[in-house]
Amino acid sequence: MSQNKTVLLIDDEQAFLEPLADALEYEGYRVLKARTADQALNLLAKEPVSLVTIDIMLDPGEQLGETVDSHSTGLFLCRHIRERYPHIDAFCISVVSDVSTIVQIESLGIRFLRKGETPLRTVLNMLRSRLTGIAYSTDRGRGKR
Amino acid sequence: MLQAEDHDIAQKLKVLEESNQQLIEKLKTVERERTEYLQNVSHQLVAPLNAIKWHIENINERRIGIERAQKVLKSIYSQATIAVHLAKNFNLMSNLEADHALSQLKEPLRDIDLKRLLINLANDFQPLAWDQEIDIGVSDSRFDSGPSILAMRPLISQVFSNIIENAVKYSNPKTIIVIEGTYKKEDDSFAVRIRNHGIQLPEKHQEDVFARGFRTPESKRKYPAGTGFGLYIAKRIVEIHEGTITARSAEGWTVFEVTLTVKGLQGKARYVSEQDRTPHR
Repeated sequence: MSQNKTVLLIDDEQAFLEPLADALEYEGYRVLKARTADQALNLLAKEPVSLVTIDIMLDPGEQLGETVDSHSTGLFLCRHIRERYPHIDAFCISVVSDVSTIVQIESLGIRFLRKGETPLRTVLNMLRSRLTGIAYSTDRGRGKR
Repeated sequence: MLQAEDHDIAQKLKVLEESNQQLIEKLKTVERERTEYLQNVSHQLVAPLNAIKWHIENINERRIGIERAQKVLKSIYSQATIAVHLAKNFNLMSNLEADHALSQLKEPLRDIDLKRLLINLANDFQPLAWDQEIDIGVSDSRFDSGPSILAMRPLISQVFSNIIENAVKYSNPKTIIVIEGTYKKEDDSFAVRIRNHGIQLPEKHQEDVFARGFRTPESKRKYPAGTGFGLYIAKRIVEIHEGTITARSAEGWTVFEVTLTVKGLQGKARYVSEQDRTPHR
Protein backbone atom coordinates (compact mmCIF):
# COMPACT_ATOMS: atom_id res chain seq x y z
CA MET A 1 0.00 0.00 0.00
CA SER A 2 2.78 2.38 0.88
CA GLN A 3 4.64 1.56 -2.37
CA ASN A 4 7.76 2.54 -0.43
CA LYS A 5 6.95 6.21 -0.62
CA THR A 6 9.48 8.45 1.09
CA VAL A 7 8.60 10.65 4.06
CA LEU A 8 11.00 13.32 5.30
CA LEU A 9 10.75 14.24 8.99
CA ILE A 10 12.31 17.62 9.86
CA ASP A 11 12.83 18.19 13.57
CA ASP A 12 15.83 18.84 15.80
CA GLU A 13 14.49 16.62 18.59
CA GLN A 14 15.56 13.02 18.20
CA ALA A 15 12.89 12.20 20.79
CA PHE A 16 10.21 13.44 18.37
CA LEU A 17 11.67 11.76 15.28
CA GLU A 18 12.03 8.27 16.76
CA PRO A 19 8.41 7.26 17.52
CA LEU A 20 7.05 8.83 14.33
CA ALA A 21 9.74 7.07 12.26
CA ASP A 22 8.97 3.75 14.01
CA ALA A 23 5.27 4.08 13.16
CA LEU A 24 5.83 5.10 9.52
CA GLU A 25 8.38 2.34 8.94
CA TYR A 26 5.89 -0.14 10.39
CA GLU A 27 3.47 1.02 7.69
CA GLY A 28 6.13 0.37 5.05
CA TYR A 29 7.23 3.91 4.28
CA ARG A 30 10.84 4.89 3.74
CA VAL A 31 11.74 7.49 6.36
CA LEU A 32 14.42 10.17 6.13
CA LYS A 33 15.30 12.47 9.01
CA ALA A 34 16.73 15.98 9.00
CA ARG A 35 17.72 17.80 12.18
CA THR A 36 18.60 21.13 10.57
CA ALA A 37 17.10 23.13 7.68
CA ASP A 38 20.38 22.68 5.74
CA GLN A 39 20.07 18.91 5.98
CA ALA A 40 16.40 19.11 4.94
CA LEU A 41 17.17 21.17 1.82
CA ASN A 42 19.95 18.75 0.80
CA LEU A 43 17.64 15.74 1.16
CA LEU A 44 14.80 17.47 -0.71
CA ALA A 45 17.17 18.21 -3.59
CA LYS A 46 18.29 14.62 -4.08
CA GLU A 47 15.61 12.29 -2.69
CA PRO A 48 12.17 11.44 -4.14
CA VAL A 49 10.24 12.81 -1.13
CA SER A 50 6.43 12.48 -1.19
CA LEU A 51 5.62 14.10 2.14
CA VAL A 52 7.38 16.20 4.78
CA THR A 53 6.65 17.02 8.41
CA ILE A 54 8.16 20.30 9.61
CA ASP A 55 8.94 21.66 13.06
CA ILE A 56 8.91 25.47 13.56
CA MET A 57 11.73 26.18 16.03
CA LEU A 58 14.69 24.52 14.43
CA ASP A 59 18.42 24.91 13.88
CA PRO A 60 18.76 26.44 10.38
CA GLY A 61 22.23 24.90 10.05
CA GLU A 62 25.51 26.56 9.16
CA GLN A 63 24.65 27.57 5.59
CA LEU A 64 21.32 29.22 6.47
CA GLY A 65 22.27 30.34 9.98
CA GLU A 66 23.11 33.87 8.90
CA THR A 67 19.83 34.54 7.14
CA VAL A 68 17.15 32.49 8.90
CA ASP A 69 15.93 33.10 12.48
CA SER A 70 15.94 29.79 14.37
CA HIS A 71 12.59 30.68 15.98
CA SER A 72 10.87 30.54 12.59
CA THR A 73 13.04 28.18 10.54
CA GLY A 74 9.98 25.99 9.96
CA LEU A 75 8.07 28.89 8.44
CA PHE A 76 10.96 29.48 6.05
CA LEU A 77 10.91 25.77 5.11
CA CYS A 78 7.13 25.78 4.59
CA ARG A 79 7.44 28.70 2.13
CA HIS A 80 10.46 27.16 0.42
CA ILE A 81 8.73 23.80 -0.04
CA ARG A 82 5.51 25.38 -1.33
CA GLU A 83 7.53 27.43 -3.83
CA ARG A 84 10.09 24.88 -5.01
CA TYR A 85 8.31 21.56 -4.40
CA PRO A 86 4.57 22.25 -4.76
CA HIS A 87 3.94 18.54 -5.49
CA ILE A 88 5.18 17.50 -2.01
CA ASP A 89 2.56 17.22 0.72
CA ALA A 90 3.52 18.96 3.94
CA PHE A 91 2.41 18.99 7.57
CA CYS A 92 3.69 21.23 10.30
CA ILE A 93 4.01 19.55 13.72
CA SER A 94 5.15 21.88 16.46
CA VAL A 95 4.68 23.15 20.01
CA VAL A 96 4.54 26.75 18.77
CA SER A 97 1.26 28.32 19.82
CA ASP A 98 1.70 31.73 18.24
CA VAL A 99 -1.51 32.29 16.29
CA SER A 100 0.02 34.52 13.60
CA THR A 101 2.62 31.83 12.76
CA ILE A 102 -0.08 29.16 12.55
CA VAL A 103 -2.22 31.39 10.30
CA GLN A 104 0.75 32.01 7.98
CA ILE A 105 1.45 28.26 7.74
CA GLU A 106 -2.16 27.30 7.10
CA SER A 107 -2.48 30.05 4.48
CA LEU A 108 0.16 28.11 2.51
CA GLY A 109 -2.20 25.12 2.55
CA ILE A 110 -0.10 23.31 5.15
CA ARG A 111 -1.98 21.68 8.01
CA PHE A 112 -0.72 22.57 11.51
CA LEU A 113 -0.73 19.89 14.22
CA ARG A 114 0.17 20.58 17.82
CA LYS A 115 2.84 18.46 19.48
CA GLY A 116 1.84 16.92 22.77
CA GLU A 117 -1.88 17.16 21.99
CA THR A 118 -2.17 15.19 18.77
CA PRO A 119 -2.18 11.40 19.23
CA LEU A 120 0.25 9.51 17.05
CA ARG A 121 -2.67 7.57 15.56
CA THR A 122 -4.26 10.82 14.34
CA VAL A 123 -0.97 11.98 12.80
CA LEU A 124 -0.53 8.61 11.11
CA ASN A 125 -4.08 8.62 9.76
CA MET A 126 -3.63 12.11 8.31
CA LEU A 127 -0.26 11.32 6.75
CA ARG A 128 -1.51 8.01 5.33
CA SER A 129 -4.58 9.68 3.90
CA ARG A 130 -2.41 12.23 2.05
CA LEU A 131 0.03 9.59 0.85
CA THR A 132 -2.63 7.19 -0.43
CA GLY A 133 -5.32 9.69 -1.41
CA ILE A 134 -7.83 7.66 0.64
CA ALA A 135 -9.70 9.48 3.41
CA TYR A 136 -8.92 7.99 6.79
CA SER A 137 -11.58 6.43 8.98
CA THR A 138 -12.00 7.73 12.50
CA ASP A 139 -11.73 5.61 15.65
CA ARG A 140 -15.52 5.62 15.91
CA GLY A 141 -15.58 2.90 13.30
CA ARG A 142 -13.61 0.60 15.57
CA GLY A 143 -15.36 -2.05 17.59
CA LYS A 144 -18.31 -2.34 15.19
CA ARG A 145 -16.73 -5.30 13.54
CA MET B 1 2.35 85.15 36.18
CA LEU B 2 -0.43 82.73 35.39
CA GLN B 3 1.09 82.09 31.98
CA ALA B 4 4.44 81.17 33.56
CA GLU B 5 2.68 78.69 35.88
CA ASP B 6 0.81 77.19 32.94
CA HIS B 7 4.06 76.79 31.10
CA ASP B 8 5.63 75.13 34.16
CA ILE B 9 2.73 72.66 34.49
CA ALA B 10 2.86 71.90 30.78
CA GLN B 11 6.59 71.15 31.08
CA LYS B 12 6.00 68.85 34.05
CA LEU B 13 3.21 67.09 32.19
CA LYS B 14 5.49 66.57 29.22
CA VAL B 15 8.20 65.03 31.43
CA LEU B 16 5.59 62.79 33.07
CA GLU B 17 4.25 61.73 29.70
CA GLU B 18 7.73 60.87 28.48
CA SER B 19 8.56 58.80 31.56
CA ASN B 20 5.16 57.15 31.26
CA GLN B 21 5.93 56.26 27.66
CA GLN B 22 9.30 54.77 28.72
CA LEU B 23 7.56 52.68 31.37
CA ILE B 24 5.07 51.41 28.78
CA GLU B 25 7.97 50.41 26.50
CA LYS B 26 9.73 48.64 29.39
CA LEU B 27 6.55 46.78 30.30
CA LYS B 28 6.11 45.72 26.68
CA THR B 29 9.69 44.35 26.64
CA VAL B 30 9.14 42.47 29.91
CA GLU B 31 5.86 41.08 28.58
CA ARG B 32 7.56 39.98 25.34
CA GLU B 33 10.38 38.29 27.28
CA ARG B 34 7.87 36.60 29.59
CA THR B 35 5.85 35.26 26.65
CA GLU B 36 9.01 33.97 24.96
CA TYR B 37 10.18 32.37 28.22
CA LEU B 38 6.83 30.62 28.75
CA GLN B 39 6.80 29.42 25.14
CA ASN B 40 10.30 28.01 25.56
CA VAL B 41 9.38 26.37 28.87
CA SER B 42 6.34 24.83 27.23
CA HIS B 43 8.42 23.70 24.25
CA GLN B 44 11.03 22.08 26.46
CA LEU B 45 8.49 20.23 28.61
CA VAL B 46 6.18 19.14 25.81
CA ALA B 47 9.01 17.59 23.75
CA PRO B 48 9.86 14.75 26.19
CA LEU B 49 6.20 14.23 27.15
CA ASN B 50 5.15 13.96 23.51
CA ALA B 51 7.93 11.40 22.93
CA ILE B 52 6.74 9.35 25.91
CA LYS B 53 3.11 9.38 24.70
CA TRP B 54 3.97 8.39 21.15
CA HIS B 55 6.41 5.65 22.21
CA ILE B 56 3.71 4.17 24.46
CA GLU B 57 1.22 4.28 21.56
CA ASN B 58 3.67 2.36 19.39
CA ILE B 59 4.12 -0.32 22.07
CA ASN B 60 0.36 -0.54 22.70
CA GLU B 61 -0.47 -0.79 19.03
CA ARG B 62 2.34 -3.36 18.56
CA ARG B 63 3.94 -1.30 15.82
CA ILE B 64 7.37 -2.27 17.15
CA GLY B 65 8.87 -5.64 18.03
CA ILE B 66 10.07 -6.79 21.45
CA GLU B 67 13.72 -5.97 20.79
CA ARG B 68 12.90 -2.43 19.68
CA ALA B 69 10.44 -2.05 22.56
CA GLN B 70 13.25 -2.72 25.05
CA LYS B 71 15.22 0.18 23.56
CA VAL B 72 12.12 2.38 23.46
CA LEU B 73 11.46 1.72 27.16
CA LYS B 74 14.96 3.01 27.93
CA SER B 75 14.20 6.07 25.82
CA ILE B 76 10.90 6.61 27.70
CA TYR B 77 12.77 6.42 31.01
CA SER B 78 15.35 8.89 29.75
CA GLN B 79 12.66 11.32 28.51
CA ALA B 80 10.88 11.12 31.86
CA THR B 81 14.20 11.89 33.61
CA ILE B 82 14.64 14.94 31.40
CA ALA B 83 11.09 16.11 32.10
CA VAL B 84 11.70 15.84 35.87
CA HIS B 85 15.02 17.66 35.51
CA LEU B 86 13.34 20.49 33.59
CA ALA B 87 10.46 20.73 36.05
CA LYS B 88 12.98 21.07 38.91
CA ASN B 89 14.74 23.86 37.02
CA PHE B 90 11.50 25.75 36.43
CA ASN B 91 10.55 25.36 40.08
CA LEU B 92 13.96 26.72 41.14
CA MET B 93 13.63 29.50 38.62
CA SER B 94 10.22 30.56 39.87
CA ASN B 95 11.72 30.76 43.39
CA LEU B 96 14.53 32.92 42.08
CA GLU B 97 12.14 35.08 40.08
CA ALA B 98 10.02 35.59 43.18
CA ASP B 99 13.25 36.86 44.72
CA HIS B 100 13.30 34.20 47.37
CA ALA B 101 16.81 33.46 48.54
CA LEU B 102 17.75 29.87 47.78
CA SER B 103 18.41 29.49 51.50
CA GLN B 104 14.64 29.68 51.94
CA LEU B 105 14.38 26.34 50.21
CA LYS B 106 15.46 24.88 53.57
CA GLU B 107 17.13 21.82 52.15
CA PRO B 108 19.05 19.86 54.77
CA LEU B 109 22.81 19.56 54.36
CA ARG B 110 24.03 16.08 53.52
CA ASP B 111 27.34 14.40 52.88
CA ILE B 112 27.68 14.05 49.13
CA ASP B 113 30.06 11.65 47.43
CA LEU B 114 30.65 13.78 44.32
CA LYS B 115 32.01 10.93 42.20
CA ARG B 116 28.99 8.74 42.86
CA LEU B 117 26.62 11.67 42.23
CA LEU B 118 28.30 12.43 38.90
CA ILE B 119 28.28 8.78 37.80
CA ASN B 120 24.51 8.69 38.46
CA LEU B 121 23.97 11.92 36.53
CA ALA B 122 26.14 10.71 33.64
CA ASN B 123 23.95 7.58 33.49
CA ASP B 124 20.77 9.71 33.52
CA PHE B 125 21.91 11.80 30.56
CA GLN B 126 23.66 9.03 28.58
CA PRO B 127 20.55 7.93 26.63
CA LEU B 128 19.99 11.54 25.50
CA ALA B 129 23.67 11.77 24.51
CA TRP B 130 23.52 8.52 22.52
CA ASP B 131 21.15 10.22 20.09
CA GLN B 132 24.24 12.07 18.85
CA GLU B 133 26.65 9.19 19.57
CA ILE B 134 28.16 11.16 22.45
CA ASP B 135 29.68 9.27 25.39
CA ILE B 136 29.65 10.68 28.92
CA GLY B 137 32.36 9.31 31.18
CA VAL B 138 33.50 9.99 34.73
CA SER B 139 37.27 9.55 34.52
CA ASP B 140 38.48 6.88 36.93
CA SER B 141 42.10 7.95 36.86
CA ARG B 142 41.35 11.68 36.94
CA PHE B 143 38.81 11.73 39.73
CA ASP B 144 40.44 11.93 43.16
CA SER B 145 38.97 9.88 45.95
CA GLY B 146 38.61 12.77 48.38
CA PRO B 147 36.20 13.33 51.26
CA SER B 148 32.46 13.88 50.78
CA ILE B 149 31.24 17.45 50.71
CA LEU B 150 28.53 18.84 52.95
CA ALA B 151 25.89 20.54 50.83
CA MET B 152 22.24 20.66 49.75
CA ARG B 153 22.10 17.52 47.66
CA PRO B 154 19.15 18.21 45.32
CA LEU B 155 20.57 21.64 44.51
CA ILE B 156 24.13 20.43 43.89
CA SER B 157 22.67 17.66 41.74
CA GLN B 158 20.84 20.31 39.72
CA VAL B 159 24.08 22.29 39.23
CA PHE B 160 25.84 19.33 37.64
CA SER B 161 22.83 18.11 35.68
CA ASN B 162 22.44 21.59 34.17
CA ILE B 163 26.11 21.62 33.13
CA ILE B 164 25.98 18.08 31.76
CA GLU B 165 22.72 18.77 29.88
CA ASN B 166 24.34 21.87 28.42
CA ALA B 167 27.41 19.87 27.39
CA VAL B 168 25.22 17.25 25.67
CA LYS B 169 23.24 19.92 23.77
CA TYR B 170 26.26 21.77 22.46
CA SER B 171 28.71 18.90 21.82
CA ASN B 172 29.60 17.78 18.33
CA PRO B 173 28.26 14.35 17.41
CA LYS B 174 30.55 11.36 18.06
CA THR B 175 32.52 13.09 20.80
CA ILE B 176 33.08 12.45 24.48
CA ILE B 177 32.14 14.39 27.62
CA VAL B 178 34.76 13.82 30.31
CA ILE B 179 34.15 14.49 34.01
CA GLU B 180 37.17 14.90 36.30
CA GLY B 181 37.56 15.79 39.99
CA THR B 182 40.49 17.18 41.95
CA TYR B 183 40.68 17.32 45.73
CA LYS B 184 42.73 20.32 46.90
CA LYS B 185 44.05 19.58 50.36
CA GLU B 186 45.42 23.08 50.94
CA ASP B 187 41.97 24.68 51.02
CA ASP B 188 39.96 21.52 51.63
CA SER B 189 37.96 21.91 48.44
CA PHE B 190 36.85 19.78 45.51
CA ALA B 191 37.04 20.99 41.91
CA VAL B 192 34.90 19.19 39.33
CA ARG B 193 35.61 19.76 35.64
CA ILE B 194 33.18 18.85 32.86
CA ARG B 195 34.83 18.91 29.43
CA ASN B 196 33.01 18.68 26.14
CA HIS B 197 33.97 19.09 22.51
CA GLY B 198 31.69 21.28 20.41
CA ILE B 199 30.39 24.85 20.14
CA GLN B 200 33.04 27.21 21.51
CA LEU B 201 32.35 29.81 24.14
CA PRO B 202 33.96 33.10 23.01
CA GLU B 203 36.22 34.67 25.64
CA LYS B 204 34.01 37.77 25.84
CA HIS B 205 31.03 35.62 26.91
CA GLN B 206 32.78 33.55 29.60
CA GLU B 207 31.04 35.59 32.33
CA ASP B 208 27.84 36.37 30.40
CA VAL B 209 27.03 32.70 30.01
CA PHE B 210 25.99 32.64 33.70
CA ALA B 211 23.77 35.72 33.39
CA ARG B 212 19.99 35.28 33.62
CA GLY B 213 18.58 34.45 30.19
CA PHE B 214 21.85 35.02 28.33
CA ARG B 215 22.53 32.83 25.28
CA THR B 216 25.30 33.12 22.71
CA PRO B 217 24.14 33.63 19.10
CA GLU B 218 25.47 30.19 18.21
CA SER B 219 23.60 28.44 21.01
CA LYS B 220 20.40 30.27 19.94
CA ARG B 221 20.87 28.97 16.42
CA LYS B 222 21.54 25.38 17.43
CA TYR B 223 18.87 25.15 20.13
CA PRO B 224 16.24 27.90 19.70
CA ALA B 225 13.97 26.72 22.53
CA GLY B 226 16.57 27.23 25.28
CA THR B 227 15.74 29.60 28.14
CA GLY B 228 19.29 30.57 29.17
CA PHE B 229 18.46 29.78 32.79
CA GLY B 230 20.30 26.49 33.41
CA LEU B 231 23.75 27.99 33.95
CA TYR B 232 22.32 30.99 35.81
CA ILE B 233 20.63 28.61 38.26
CA ALA B 234 23.90 26.63 38.54
CA LYS B 235 25.85 29.77 39.41
CA ARG B 236 23.29 30.94 41.99
CA ILE B 237 23.36 27.55 43.73
CA VAL B 238 27.17 27.38 43.70
CA GLU B 239 27.34 30.89 45.15
CA ILE B 240 24.90 29.96 47.92
CA HIS B 241 27.36 27.14 48.74
CA GLU B 242 30.18 29.69 48.72
CA GLY B 243 31.87 27.95 45.82
CA THR B 244 32.94 29.14 42.37
CA ILE B 245 31.96 28.26 38.81
CA THR B 246 33.86 29.15 35.63
CA ALA B 247 33.69 28.35 31.93
CA ARG B 248 36.30 28.61 29.21
CA SER B 249 36.93 27.26 25.72
CA ALA B 250 40.18 26.35 23.99
CA GLU B 251 41.15 24.16 21.03
CA GLY B 252 37.66 22.81 20.48
CA TRP B 253 37.08 21.94 24.13
CA THR B 254 34.85 23.78 26.59
CA VAL B 255 35.48 23.25 30.30
CA PHE B 256 33.12 24.09 33.15
CA GLU B 257 34.77 23.99 36.56
CA VAL B 258 32.85 23.98 39.83
CA THR B 259 34.78 24.30 43.08
CA LEU B 260 33.05 23.54 46.37
CA THR B 261 34.53 23.54 49.84
CA VAL B 262 34.33 20.22 51.66
CA LYS B 263 32.89 21.71 54.85
CA GLY B 264 30.47 23.71 52.73
CA LEU B 265 27.85 25.42 54.82
CA GLN B 266 28.49 23.49 58.01
CA GLY B 267 27.90 25.62 61.08
CA LYS B 268 26.29 28.45 59.13
CA ALA B 269 23.29 29.46 61.22
CA ARG B 270 20.62 29.45 58.51
CA TYR B 271 21.36 25.93 57.30
CA VAL B 272 20.74 22.74 59.20
CA SER B 273 22.91 19.71 58.61
CA GLU B 274 21.68 16.19 59.24
CA GLN B 275 24.24 15.93 62.07
CA ASP B 276 22.88 19.11 63.65
CA ARG B 277 19.39 17.68 63.68
CA THR B 278 19.69 15.83 66.97
CA PRO B 279 16.17 15.11 68.18
CA HIS B 280 15.17 16.75 71.46
CA ARG B 281 14.70 14.35 74.31
